[in-house]
Amino acid sequence: MTHTRAVVPFAVAALIPGLLVLAGVLDGLGTDERIPIWAAVLLAVGLLTPAAVGLVILRRGPRNLIGWILLVGPVPIAVMACLEVYARARGTDGAFLPGNDVAGILSVALWPTFYVWPLAIAFVFPDGHLPSRRWRWPAVAVFTAAGLVIAFVLVGEERLDPAMGGGANPFRVEGVDVLLPLFWAIWGVLLAGLFLGAAAVVVRYRRARGVERLQLKWLAWSAGLIPLGLLVCALSYLLVGDVTILVPAVLVGAGVCMSVSVGIAVTRHGLYEIDRLVNRTLVYAVLTLALGAVFVVIVVVSGIALGRGSMVGTALATLVVALAAAPLRGRVQRGVDRRFARARYEGLSRVRAFEDAVRRGAEEPEGVEQALRDALGDDSLRLWLRLARSERHADVQGAIVDRAAPAQASRTIVEHHGDEIAIIVHAPLLLTRPDLLRSVVDAATLPIELARLRAEVRVQLAEVEASRERLIRAGDDERRRLERDLHDGAQQRLVSLGVSLRRMQRSLPREARALVPAFDQAVDEVGQAIADLRTIAAGLRPPRLDDGLAAALGDLARSAPVPVVVRVEVDDLPPPVELVAYYTVCEAITNAVKHASATRVDVEALIEGDHLTVRVRDDGRGGAVARGASGLAGIADRVGAQGGRLHIDSPAGAGTLLEAELPCAS
Amino acid sequence: MRIVIAEDAVLLREGLAGLLEDAGHAVVARVGDADDLLVAVAEHEPELAIVDVRMPPDYDDEGMVAAGVIRDRHPATGVLVLSQHVETRHAVRLVARGGGFGYLLKDRVLDVDDFLDACARVATGGTALDPVVVATLVSPPVAEDPLGGLTPREREVLGLMAEGRTNAGIAARLWLTEKTVETHVRAVLRKLGLPAGSGDHRRVLAVLAYLRAQDTGPHASQGQPSG
Repeated sequence: MTHTRAVVPFAVAALIPGLLVLAGVLDGLGTDERIPIWAAVLLAVGLLTPAAVGLVILRRGPRNLIGWILLVGPVPIAVMACLEVYARARGTDGAFLPGNDVAGILSVALWPTFYVWPLAIAFVFPDGHLPSRRWRWPAVAVFTAAGLVIAFVLVGEERLDPAMGGGANPFRVEGVDVLLPLFWAIWGVLLAGLFLGAAAVVVRYRRARGVERLQLKWLAWSAGLIPLGLLVCALSYLLVGDVTILVPAVLVGAGVCMSVSVGIAVTRHGLYEIDRLVNRTLVYAVLTLALGAVFVVIVVVSGIALGRGSMVGTALATLVVALAAAPLRGRVQRGVDRRFARARYEGLSRVRAFEDAVRRGAEEPEGVEQALRDALGDDSLRLWLRLARSERHADVQGAIVDRAAPAQASRTIVEHHGDEIAIIVHAPLLLTRPDLLRSVVDAATLPIELARLRAEVRVQLAEVEASRERLIRAGDDERRRLERDLHDGAQQRLVSLGVSLRRMQRSLPREARALVPAFDQAVDEVGQAIADLRTIAAGLRPPRLDDGLAAALGDLARSAPVPVVVRVEVDDLPPPVELVAYYTVCEAITNAVKHASATRVDVEALIEGDHLTVRVRDDGRGGAVARGASGLAGIADRVGAQGGRLHIDSPAGAGTLLEAELPCAS
Repeated sequence: MRIVIAEDAVLLREGLAGLLEDAGHAVVARVGDADDLLVAVAEHEPELAIVDVRMPPDYDDEGMVAAGVIRDRHPATGVLVLSQHVETRHAVRLVARGGGFGYLLKDRVLDVDDFLDACARVATGGTALDPVVVATLVSPPVAEDPLGGLTPREREVLGLMAEGRTNAGIAARLWLTEKTVETHVRAVLRKLGLPAGSGDHRRVLAVLAYLRAQDTGPHASQGQPSG
């Protein structure tokens, strides 16, 4: 079904050269009066140009009205030409061919078809609709007038042209001459229609913006040629008298101009998106010619050198052609682009150069935004990468963007395998270059996808880091709360209990003094319980940190079972940094004592640049690793959550150096 | 002695008050937060205010802040701060501002006689500093530690001096004669290069100032095997 439909335009297009060839065969048959060669060429050009443009349009959009008008419009004219030469032709006996009177009168009557298709184009280009509803009646009037003129000529003409034998008109209706004034009035309408058509284009042109204006520009000029040409004809008729040459020349010229205008709109300004088709056709045509030429040259040269029919020559030619095809195609494509689409050529070169640089490692994929800016000549361009997981968009740095932000800009969606991967926010002016925009964006799809994946990873990593920090902070808060609960709850109650016991003890009557030691023991128990609680609470959160890192680490050193030398040269650190530093030293000392059998530990905490460096060195047996659920792994997590780095250097038998770098803004 | 107690735990507050009253003191006001404490102190001008560090609304260091205010506004009122855990920075600062200040862990209360003694010292313009606080200041010897020149007995004496005890108190504690204690004190002050003052508080100040200088700034301490 679609296949047959696709064939129809070609069949119609083939009809025109077919009719022209037929006319050429009939021309001058049995007589010396031939159509002059220039007229034949003019006619061929005038008919084939619109048909070709129409065919190209229909290849892309089989239902496009403009395409059909351009393709079908010249057919009646070709038919008319055939009819005319047939009416003039004679058989071998010198007599006119049968039906020459019918052919003759039709060839005269069909003249208005010269105007019909350019008028139709003028009225409905480029969208296939009239400029507005107000144009409906003028359009109907003009085309009805064309039909009436044809009908009038058919029934009104008395005799044929002498060259056609000068016979009587077989369709003549007697008495129709009284309607002659009406005939001229209708002629007037038709002529007015030509001006109307030109006016329709101009109206549309003035109303159009952006790319549509560019598309209409050439047509507006050439549509003006028809009324202008007719004015010239009318003037020369009045001055010279004979316009048989001029009229068809003007009409054909105007028709050619209009089809060329449509062609320009289609190819240069992206109308119906045919530019790429034309581009590709051009590329393959040139490529085929070039490869064919190479093949022929090689075959001929080798034929001369090796003798005719040499298989070697043919094989060599085939090989050369096969090898040359791919590189040559690229060259031809670039050549065609350079000549016919300069901006696109340069834009694509920029994007390809960038892609190469990414591949070499000379550029990061995030540079794709700048590459697009350069390629499209839009410095305001922004690339929003779509994060598939969260349905949000991020810029190339991985920061989440607010999609509602810029109202003044246009957006183009970038797709990869049918999925949206990014939005390009750009100046609205770029929409007037859809060809440029599309080909540059297509070429940049891969780096955009790379940048998108990297942004996705970056955003997810940031989220994970934030959640780790939250978890650790929540844990610390909980420890702090527990510590307070112990101090202010249980410990407080124990002290109260002890005080009560002491009061009872002191108020014992003299005869109950024997109970004093028992009270002392009970109060001692209470005191021990309080001390235990204090130890537990201190384990939850070191209270000495309130006095600063130096004091807390000093306490730690004092309570350690091996000599620990502490050197702290910092003060007033942010509490979270202090806490991490404290736990780091705590864990390092524990590790040194429990696992490494160290006999001495050196602790150092100092500001280096904008971060706090905590160094713990022991003389133990080494081999410490931060792995699994070990204490050191927990410390690595804490340091990481604080945005720092933990470095453990622990060769077997040579002691352990643990170094934590913690950023601190203070 | 007239005393104001600021403690948000009612049970402990009443117990403390009872203890003090049993000992013959007059508890003129019992309050639960720092604001009420300041009002009560202004109203009663007591000899002593016993203040919990953590109190409503934030349970942070309201008591310590209030203690500072009382020391400013009512120099005649001694302040004894009770804490659940050791925190030296504020305590040492307040001690350094003059006598009439004490800082003890809460469970020292259970050592009733010592506690009452500390109360009396603070109320009469003396000092009471918790042994644990002192221990964090009196670091064990390191190579270049000036305290390294002290004998263990002198170190003990130094600690008791820093707690604010008198020579008589130290002598009672160590089962020594006052004369021997005086000898030790002189030796300690000489070895540390401190002036041999006569007043108890001046002596405490000198010792604390010295120890504090050791505790802050570039910090060097070394742990002694403890277990």
